[in-house]
Amino acid sequence: MNALVSDSWGRRALIGLLVLVVLAPVFGWASGAVGYAEPLENAAEETGAADAADPVSPGLLPDYSVPGLSSPLGTLVSAVVGTGLTLAVGVGVGRLLEQ
Amino acid sequence: MHIPDGFLDPWVAGLFWLGSGIVIGIAVRRARGELGDERTPLLGVVAAGIFAAQMLNWPIPGGTSAHFVGGAFAGILLGPYLGVLAMSAVVTIQALVFGDGGIIALGANLFAMAVVDVLVGYALFRALRGVHETGAAFVAGWGAITVSALVVGVGIGLSSAFAYELSVTVLIMVVGHALLGLVEGAITAAVYGYVADARPDLVLGRLDDDSLSPEVGL
Repeated sequence: MNALVSDSWGRRALIGLLVLVVLAPVFGWASGAVGYAEPLENAAEETGAADAADPVSPGLLPDYSVPGLSSPLGTLVSAVVGTGLTLAVGVGVGRLLEQ
Repeated sequence: MHIPDGFLDPWVAGLFWLGSGIVIGIAVRRARGELGDERTPLLGVVAAGIFAAQMLNWPIPGGTSAHFVGGAFAGILLGPYLGVLAMSAVVTIQALVFGDGGIIALGANLFAMAVVDVLVGYALFRALRGVHETGAAFVAGWGAITVSALVVGVGIGLSSAFAYELSVTVLIMVVGHALLGLVEGAITAAVYGYVADARPDLVLGRLDDDSLSPEVGL
């Protein structure tokens, strides 16, 4: 991770990630406003599968929200946690495989 | 395109797990020789960027929509093995932490987004970059997501929850994502073009035998 902060391209990359993270609540609001639905959901509606979804685990931050927190804030926290965790896992797995 | 638990019949989910397991296993073995102080941070940054980009659902008014998936982008930028690993990290974290995609269905989501999207995207890019490099990135992003949607369409169409209506599920998935895939292709080409201009040395998907890369003078 230090390599990222000390290198100018690494810093640019981290700023890019931050911009995407800040956009997450905005897109979350906008897609909610237009009734966001993916082709998979359309296929489920069409064939009667929509009610078949039966999550084994909802996850710690279900559907990118924080239980008890308002939606834009929950989305922002989810984006920060998820992006940070993915960065850490990616670098961590990479370091493990280097050895 | 994240399949929840309950959508797939057990044998379908099992086959997807098998396919993902084999490919990810190969990717882990091959990735060992490719990692280092330059590429390991890049693996993390690309994975994190794709996670964040996948949270941005495109607000297309009144119709079917999607978000950037990024498998082809990962394959082009990181090469197939690191691309598979980056997407595997994204899709697994989405399922385990955010409940986006099921646990039993994780094998299928990995197969669609971390295997098919990455490898088809990489193959299309390699095949077409001689014609036009940015155009190849566009076709890779568009084509790979469409093939990926076909695979998911077949998987759900063979499952009881979807009443085995294979022709319906394949049609909706392929047509939907072939249209939405134009945006996927445009983003893939734009970001690829930017990175390839600014830091051609970071583009792992066109290293080694690449006679067209700027480093070799063309």
